[in-house]
Amino acid sequence: MSHPKARHVVDARYMEPPEPFVRTMEMLDALQPGEKMLLLLFREPHPLYRVLRQNGHAYESELLPDGTFEILISR
Amino acid sequence: MQSPVSLDNAPPLAASLRFFLTAPLFLVLAGLLLLVSGSEIFASRWAPVTLALVHLLTIGFMLQVMIGALIQVLPVIIGVHLRRPLPLARFVHGALNAGALALAAGFLTASSALLRLAAILLALGVGGFLLAAGPAIFAQASTSPTIRGLKLSLPGLAGVAGLGVTLALGLARGWALPYPRLADLHAGWGFAAWAGVLLAAMAYVVVPMFQLTPGYPARLSWWLPPLLLTLVLLWSLGVALDWPLPVRLAQGALAVSGLAFAGLTLRLQSQRRRARVDATSRYWQAGLLAALGALSLFAVATAWPAAAEYPAWTPLFAILLLAGAFIPLIAGMLYKIVPFLTWMHLQQRMQPGLPLPNMNRLLPDQAMQRQMRVYLAALTLLVGAAWWPQWLARPAGIMLAVAGGWLWWNLLGAAWRYRQQATLMAAHKETGATGASGG
Repeated sequence: MSHPKARHVVDARYMEPPEPFVRTMEMLDALQPGEKMLLLLFREPHPLYRVLRQNGHAYESELLPDGTFEILISR
Repeated sequence: MQSPVSLDNAPPLAASLRFFLTAPLFLVLAGLLLLVSGSEIFASRWAPVTLALVHLLTIGFMLQVMIGALIQVLPVIIGVHLRRPLPLARFVHGALNAGALALAAGFLTASSALLRLAAILLALGVGGFLLAAGPAIFAQASTSPTIRGLKLSLPGLAGVAGLGVTLALGLARGWALPYPRLADLHAGWGFAAWAGVLLAAMAYVVVPMFQLTPGYPARLSWWLPPLLLTLVLLWSLGVALDWPLPVRLAQGALAVSGLAFAGLTLRLQSQRRRARVDATSRYWQAGLLAALGALSLFAVATAWPAAAEYPAWTPLFAILLLAGAFIPLIAGMLYKIVPFLTWMHLQQRMQPGLPLPNMNRLLPDQAMQRQMRVYLAALTLLVGAAWWPQWLARPAGIMLAVAGGWLWWNLLGAAWRYRQQATLMAAHKETGATGASGG
């Protein structure tokens, strides 16, 4: 799945926890340095943010009109 | 792989479980009070026994679960970590429980000493929570409608508690206050500015997350909490200036806003992608339908005040709003939070060679569904009692006590199975460690 913001996308909007977290961490592991991935969710994943910060990943989130949060994460 | 919620930053389970395990007992007390008093409770909203019953439900059950859940979920929902959650939980839990009991006893015995004691205890409990959690919550940037909603719910909590303490002290000391108007306003702060705003802010996260529905539209999510708070402020201004027009306008707009939110949530639920309908979804459906009923009654009475003079109107409105909407919505939430928390804490202690119990085994869905049916039967009897209190008040009381007791039993079972499993894991770890050092 691709998206204008990033080639690698996890659409976790209809997944039950902890699947969005697991899928995101798996995709981050598979990325090359400098690559970015996009996570789509109907909420801000604060526990994931904490892990991303601890591991030195940069991220930014944007809320779309339909309630989707687009979270762009750098490897 | 790292865990999404690691225990070094999650509040201890004991912080929130104490609230969840005492709250259902207040449903039992409320049911027993209804059983003993019978139709008296439906005679007037100002009867001491009615005031006692309402506060057993609102403080003993609702407020207790809301604060317990907040202490637990702040890190997950908005990324806020309280510094010492366990001592805070112990203090707030003690003050709220003692305060709710003192208040109900104060109303029932017309004791000014008990009313004063209740006012002090509840001010300490709510004030303690606001002082500990408020600065941490307000320090967080409002990057989502949930964070903004949570921030805006705190003035709501301060407002309902401030007015409640004033009213209790006024009754105890015989102050000349405009009691009916202030009591209405106290209820407005409690149900709209505090419980309504908090419920909306939490729903934005938990409805899509647990029921796999689409998300709430962003624009509505941003604006609903400030709108509700502004309308309650307008209502307060009308009371302060003794000017009825803003009061009626604010009440009408609150009813319409609540109807829109409940209607939207029902629509999102109808689009859910989870095939299995669990106890939480059903509790929420029931709660949202009852909210539509209660808010329609409120809207009609705002436009046409003579409607509220119909004898069953006031009890029916109160029953639908409190026992029909808020209690089922909160019970439904408890049935997600408690199994999830216990499972999450077990996951953190996982040992190789010991399987992690399924979340459904910690609190089986069948047990929750059965309890829910009894609660809904109690609600049906309560609604009937709005018309025929002499026949149905006591059976409704029995059923409410049974439903509350069963809720307590189900949650206690989850806590007990958690403890059993945790002990097993600790023993396994010890044996493993001994084996390793011996070999």
